[in-house]
Amino acid sequence: MSSGQVTKRVKYKTSVKDAGTPGRLSLVKERLVFRPNNPNSASKLDMQFKYITNHRYTKEGSNKAPMLNLTSNQGASYIFEFESYEDLHICRDFVGCANLMKFGHKGVAELLHRQQKLQILELIRKFIQNNPAEMICSSVQGCCKTIDYVLHSELQKLHQQFVGGGVLTEAEFWATRKKLLEKDANRKAKQRGGLKSSVLAESKPFIDGRTNRVTFNLTPEIVREIFSEKPAVHRAYLNFVPSKMADKDFWTKYCRAEYLQRSKNIAAAIAEAAEDEELAIFLKPDDILANETRRKIRRVDPTLDMETDQGDDYSHLPDHGIFRDGSKEVAESGNELYQRTLLQDLNRHAAVVLQGTPIDEEQLKDTQTVAEALERSKQERSTASKDDESSADQERLKGISQAMTIDDLRGSNDHHLAPLWIKVLSVLTHNISSTKYNLGKKPGESLLDSLPTSVRDELLHHHISIEELMKHFWSSYPITNKYLNTKVTKLKDEMSKMDSQLQVTSLLLNSLSVRLVQALEAAMQHYDAEQQKRASKAREKPNGYS
Amino acid sequence: MKFQIEEVTVYFPYDNIYPEQYTYMVELKRALDAKGHCLLEMPTGTGKTIALLSLITSYALAKTESPIKLIYCTRTVHEMEKTLAELKFLHNYQVKHLGAAAKMLAIGLSSRKNLCVNPTVSSAENRDSVDAACRKLTASWVRSMAAENPNQPTCEFYENYDRAAGGAVLPAGVYTLEDLRAFGKEKGWCPYFLARHMVQFANVVVYSYQYLLDPKVAGIISKEMQKESVVVFDEAHNIDNVCIEALSVSVRRQTLEGAIRNISRIENEIDRFKDIDAGRLRAEYNRLVEGLALRGDLSASDAWLANPALPDDILRQAVPGNIRRAEHFLHVLRRLVQYLKVKLDTDKVEKESPVSFVASINSDAGIDQKALKFCYDRLHSLLMTLEITDTDEFLHIQTICDFATLVGTYARGFSIIIEPFDERMPLIPDPVLQLCCHDASLAIKPVFDRFQSVVITSGTLSPIDLYPRLLNFHPVVSRSFKMSLTRDCICPMVLTRGSDQLPVSTKFDMRSDPGVVRNYGKLLVEMVSIVPDGIVCFFVSYSYMDGIINSWNESGILKDIMQHKLVFIETQDVVETTLALDNYRRACDCGRGAVFFSVARGKVAEGIDFDRHYGRLVIMFGVPFQYTESKILRARLEYLRDTFQIKEGDFLTFDALIDVMNIKLTDRNLNQRQAAQCVGRVIRSKADYGMMIFADKRYSRHDKRSKLPGWILSHLRDANLNLSTDMALHIAREFLRKMAQPYEKTGSTTGRKTLLSQEDVEKLGNNGAQEMLY
Repeated sequence: MSSGQVTKRVKYKTSVKDAGTPGRLSLVKERLVFRPNNPNSASKLDMQFKYITNHRYTKEGSNKAPMLNLTSNQGASYIFEFESYEDLHICRDFVGCANLMKFGHKGVAELLHRQQKLQILELIRKFIQNNPAEMICSSVQGCCKTIDYVLHSELQKLHQQFVGGGVLTEAEFWATRKKLLEKDANRKAKQRGGLKSSVLAESKPFIDGRTNRVTFNLTPEIVREIFSEKPAVHRAYLNFVPSKMADKDFWTKYCRAEYLQRSKNIAAAIAEAAEDEELAIFLKPDDILANETRRKIRRVDPTLDMETDQGDDYSHLPDHGIFRDGSKEVAESGNELYQRTLLQDLNRHAAVVLQGTPIDEEQLKDTQTVAEALERSKQERSTASKDDESSADQERLKGISQAMTIDDLRGSNDHHLAPLWIKVLSVLTHNISSTKYNLGKKPGESLLDSLPTSVRDELLHHHISIEELMKHFWSSYPITNKYLNTKVTKLKDEMSKMDSQLQVTSLLLNSLSVRLVQALEAAMQHYDAEQQKRASKAREKPNGYS
Repeated sequence: MKFQIEEVTVYFPYDNIYPEQYTYMVELKRALDAKGHCLLEMPTGTGKTIALLSLITSYALAKTESPIKLIYCTRTVHEMEKTLAELKFLHNYQVKHLGAAAKMLAIGLSSRKNLCVNPTVSSAENRDSVDAACRKLTASWVRSMAAENPNQPTCEFYENYDRAAGGAVLPAGVYTLEDLRAFGKEKGWCPYFLARHMVQFANVVVYSYQYLLDPKVAGIISKEMQKESVVVFDEAHNIDNVCIEALSVSVRRQTLEGAIRNISRIENEIDRFKDIDAGRLRAEYNRLVEGLALRGDLSASDAWLANPALPDDILRQAVPGNIRRAEHFLHVLRRLVQYLKVKLDTDKVEKESPVSFVASINSDAGIDQKALKFCYDRLHSLLMTLEITDTDEFLHIQTICDFATLVGTYARGFSIIIEPFDERMPLIPDPVLQLCCHDASLAIKPVFDRFQSVVITSGTLSPIDLYPRLLNFHPVVSRSFKMSLTRDCICPMVLTRGSDQLPVSTKFDMRSDPGVVRNYGKLLVEMVSIVPDGIVCFFVSYSYMDGIINSWNESGILKDIMQHKLVFIETQDVVETTLALDNYRRACDCGRGAVFFSVARGKVAEGIDFDRHYGRLVIMFGVPFQYTESKILRARLEYLRDTFQIKEGDFLTFDALIDVMNIKLTDRNLNQRQAAQCVGRVIRSKADYGMMIFADKRYSRHDKRSKLPGWILSHLRDANLNLSTDMALHIAREFLRKMAQPYEKTGSTTGRKTLLSQEDVEKLGNNGAQEMLY
């Protein structure tokens, strides 16, 4: 793949029913090439991407084989059957991206207007993610830039206006948009859906009441849960099925063990386990888990590690300290081998949920697939470099020592990025946005549409920039330090400038701008009132803030 | 910030300071000036630790002519790590502002188990087996054997450390246990022995209580400490219990059986030595004639023996003749074990004083008091002579000798109680002979005598005048501080009824009522849906928690809870609990939110903080109780009454065993100190906020409630004293909404400042703190 091309084993077909010619499909920068395994075969193919107008593919999870169907501008279709969905996805993304490139900058911009920005972005991201950097040709990068530009051109204008104009600093401007940046950064990693918090496998067995039959229901989702929470069961499944026993027998045995476990009939459990060694596996404590626990306990946050206390505690030597003063609970003894408690299960379940699932929803088909997918992801994880883990730990430790500090004793260097005063602002923005929304919608009031485009754009821009100003203005209150004070003064100057500009526009008798003027005035009034209050207070108290 | 308290420049690593921190420092400085002990109470959430650390380190920096050392004792290792993290932060600040002059060496010290980096040794299961595995590689005779026989395994880390000799030093800095291990690994030196060696040079040593209070450990680790030290006991509200635990021993059947096995093995060893190296036993005999002061000429790795209680002058006396020879000593031990076995074989409870017990040993087994007193040291001398490294196999006989030495040393402050079974389970025979210490001052006395200043501090030390009597010392400063809050950031509530108006309680006759269980469950289900991040629940006992979670699981309540938050639970397995806690924090950090189920007397309640988003709500289901009819507790109360004139009522209030409930049925008492401890760990700073729900109808009674600490009571409004679930829900919603609003952090709007800037502190320094704050 690093050579800038993708080659996969495929079967080339002219129609779906065609048996197909086995061969190799190579995708290079601007063309696709099919070479059959039999060099004498006639069905060679070599065409440029720009002739392809459309592509379709089989959805994962359907019964059909993984196939990609390309349609050329002459209406001919080329069908490739892949060996796996994985191969299909790689090639599909490649083709999709190549498709995009041919549109060029203009085309992308057009597409954007057709409300497809998200799909395109997603496509390109996938492409970039799946392929090494050198493969991404310049045109793709160009596309990305265009998209970013179009998406954020409004932002750019605002940025130029306020940061360029010295009203806001770079940090202030972006502080309110932190989320935007984070979202973009996060989107790079492929996100999987999380696991449900509730315990699925804990769902009660169904008892029909007439006979002694007990029914357990197992879905692939539950199987996933069982496998990831009980690695020993997972391992047993991989070892036994299908070589030693059938899928169904395995689960019957598992459910039998579960039933014994839950009925809390330890004597019966021990008796049955003695006779049936496979059943015993389900009842025994999980050795894989025990190892994992040992590994994890070393990396636990030292400020809550109670295990180190035990290693340090000299007074809890056997028979030292006070033994029976009623403060300690009397421990119940039991056969530990077969006692797995609900509490342990709950802890384990929550830990697994927190860790997240390594397999996709699509892979939740049958037990076998789930088991294999889990195994694969496990191997991947173990081969992943350990440096990664330790650096994550370092990061975490740093976080801990940071958490040790007392927040409100710290200096005020980041107070100006204080959270918004939600109550005021939400009312205000609601007002403004509803005005904007209603303006376009109400039949009698389609003032905006009647305006010439240049005026309309100007007006909308005013709206956005005033909204931005308001956001900063209201988030600066209450003024707790000098920094905020100067910031508010600067904002106020900018607002009065904006106000005079709007006065001109409002000659066009636009009700929108009236509202905007109202918003500005409200803010300015607040400023004046506050300023007066401060001035009078400052006279009373010499150490007060001014 | 940097400010003056009289002649001392205090370096404080923040831009602002709480007024209570400032006054705390002023009081602490007075105690240091007076070279006396002090007792300081200040609520959690006011940054006590950082105030303490910055004052004492600044004090040490100011008084360079007589440098003081800080010995900081914490209850647990994880509290030690927290302290070191704060110290690191402070140290960075001081170095930044003062340069190299502020450099210091601060180390945390723990056992081999927590410090060892040798993979074969540290993989051993518990502390004792790690100790033994270490000795197997580092004992002096093992090493001399290795010098002749290259196949004899040794520890490369210890060997490297030993070779480096004087060159093996830690550079200045603050070292947590992990830092020590990392440093040891990098240099190839044993971190445990390096740390122990550096203890005498360090400016700050952080370790757990037992290193000073337990004579078994203190004799080894802390004997080199200089008099000019400041000893701090943090979170010291339970210090009396640690003291008496350090001097208490119990003997059970298993102990005696193990001891007999140990004696036989020692006998075999002696026979073996007689054959191959009889001279060694003779040399030991001669040494014992001269006295027990044998530690001086032992190498570092062997110094694992110390006397539990003997004052130094006894060490120079000759060991009594009847136990000087190894065989004779073994005979004495056999007779002692036999005697204890007979004693243990009883079917009624017996209580005896040490004096009469010693007298009857003398008449029945022919062992006099002096021989008993020397047992502990005699045994260790013998084990050493016999070159025994697997000391973890000999714990039982060590216990017996511990017992003998204690009973032979102390004539008062102890009693011996023999019980044939646990009174709560009279059907299961489990005889035990307990030597229990009643007098907390015995263990802590050497500390008060030896060190210049001892600071006892905690969030809750009430009543504060009881501690000097219990510990028998005279503080020069004894103060209790209140917390001034900028806003009402704590919201305690008393919930007495469920939403169906039925009362809730864990009182014995109600606790298993399905209505109570359901109402408790519903309360939690409602709360998880409105409270962000972390919620902590405390139950009165493990068995109660286990029962209630199982029934919640069956009735589907647990499922409803899990719709909103993940559930983590404290179990009796410490490792599992630690992992659960770690995951709980991760879940709170990542925004998923979680509930932690815990037990009021458990390990989690004792020392884990649920500050900030780790504990926005704490629910105490029921009133924690303690079994107060225990013979040991009764004996202790009697002793306190007779010796210190501390009335039972006073102590029980203090020890929070309040009010006998329902005597006829259960003899159960309440323990409010536990309740206070559970909910007292939600606040980390004044910017933090949290709610507490006391869910039991008994909390609405004034006599119960008044035992809660003052800082909680002062926030408990009358309107919140008798709530049902839906009312509590409403209050919680309002509270959370209020807390989300920005506020003036300095509190200048309310008239009294709750946060001081540099400027304010300077002004305070000029005017005197008192008038502005109180």
